[in-house]
Amino acid sequence: MRRALERIEIPGEHEARERAWAVVQAAHAGREPQPRSRTLVRPLLVACALAAAVAAALSPPGRAVIEDVREVIGVESAEPALFSLPTEGRVLSVSPGTAWIVHGDGSSRLLGPYRGAAWSPFGRFVVGTTRLQLATLEPDGDKRWSLARRDVRRATWGGTRTDTRIAYLAGTQLHVVGGDGRGDTALIDAPSLPRSPLAWQPGRADRLAYVVDDVLRVVSTRARGEEAWSVDVPGPLVSLEWSDDGSRLLALSRRQLAVFVPGRAVSRTTLPRGTVGVAAAFEPGSRRIATVIYSPRLDRSDLRLGARVRFSGSGRFTGLAWSPDAEWLLVPWRDADQWVFVSTDGSRRIRAVSRVSAQFDGFPRVEGWIADEEE
Amino acid sequence: MPGSGRDERAWVRGAQAGSASDLEALFRAYWPRAFRAAYLVAHDAAAAEDIAQEAFLAAIRALDRFDRRRPFGPWLHRIVVNRAIDWSRARTLRAELELHDVPVEQPDRSDADRLAAAIAELPEEQRAVIVLRHLLEYTPGEIADLLELPRGTVNSRLRRGLDALKGEL
Repeated sequence: MRRALERIEIPGEHEARERAWAVVQAAHAGREPQPRSRTLVRPLLVACALAAAVAAALSPPGRAVIEDVREVIGVESAEPALFSLPTEGRVLSVSPGTAWIVHGDGSSRLLGPYRGAAWSPFGRFVVGTTRLQLATLEPDGDKRWSLARRDVRRATWGGTRTDTRIAYLAGTQLHVVGGDGRGDTALIDAPSLPRSPLAWQPGRADRLAYVVDDVLRVVSTRARGEEAWSVDVPGPLVSLEWSDDGSRLLALSRRQLAVFVPGRAVSRTTLPRGTVGVAAAFEPGSRRIATVIYSPRLDRSDLRLGARVRFSGSGRFTGLAWSPDAEWLLVPWRDADQWVFVSTDGSRRIRAVSRVSAQFDGFPRVEGWIADEEE
Repeated sequence: MPGSGRDERAWVRGAQAGSASDLEALFRAYWPRAFRAAYLVAHDAAAAEDIAQEAFLAAIRALDRFDRRRPFGPWLHRIVVNRAIDWSRARTLRAELELHDVPVEQPDRSDADRLAAAIAELPEEQRAVIVLRHLLEYTPGEIADLLELPRGTVNSRLRRGLDALKGEL
């Protein structure tokens, strides 16, 4: 009977094992190893070791050892620096007060002292924000134009190849300006606006989504903000993003992931009890969704693809980004000071890079992974 | 295949101390049967992957508290089989609105496929005891402990399940 049961073929058995191993390995790498078991002589040894450790810690090599010990959270096999991305494209990241572009070969370009940044729709430019300025930049950091405004945040660039717009918040106002810097207009003014993410519908230069007073509104920016449709959302959103074809809009709050088509929800999924939403994004060219959720009670984060956990670790993942070919997900793991690259079909080993803060002058947010520019 | 008791204790000890290679040895030894057991109870490969994966993650979360004198297998299998039973019950209760492919009888199915289909027809409680007894090779007494059932209940479920499978065996 046992042999008969073991002969039953299970679809995808090998792939399931390798996917699960990647998750289990990462979870194990993210835990604190248990100290060796106690013996009767242990108290004496501990006392001696403590004295030695205090002395050693005062020396530079001793400090280095302590730094190593602190790195027990994280992927064990992480590379010591970002030598390359696992696939094509460029990553836009923002560490506290500094924006960077990371290229496929691992080289990084410092864009300047920006506290927020976003790609233009086709990755030819970047919009950066300081507290008092909105600026558009070439990927090498050269400034094209800028606008002086107060309390600038959440700049988002959308549109077509021939017509683009930048939406941004200035204080409690939502502004829209042309991609060439002309025609800056305040669309609305609302006290709850500063908490709202902004999202341009792909393929159009006039359709913008934002949230005011727990109502998700999609408006025409050409028609002075006339509403195209709206739906209720449960509380502040942490992610608001369109699918590539512009047909669906996802909204992630702390407790719920909802997907909308014009005027109605096609799904509303309550997150597992005791967890909060951190980030969500559609797969490029698809309606599949990756999410990062965090459990405060367990102090644990999960990266999920659909309903399945792809990667798990202690502490916080602070976001996610799909690679342009949809083969990898980049997860910034703040507590491990690592960037983790997870293969989306589980066929390749997890790749990780440690000491990210040292490379970017602080632990960076990831603001998008976009295809290389066409020649 | 699971290793000897000594291997297993060494792997658990190593994994507790942070050794990735010991964890991998433990995983490679126990994953195949855990996954297969979950599949035979849940009859859904994706669910089986989730169930077995969650069981291993639960094992890692509890690794530091794990008593190395106890065998690892029964502890893991208890989680797997109970979760697979819960999953199967939930699926039965769920009103599934999606359209599913209607299974079609295939004349050239192998004996193993027919056995899998016959097991899938059993109630989940009978599937669980069949899997624990004949795949994971626990005694009825051990199954009673794992599932927290009276031994007589385990025996009667085994008997009914095997009677139903008799044609395929």
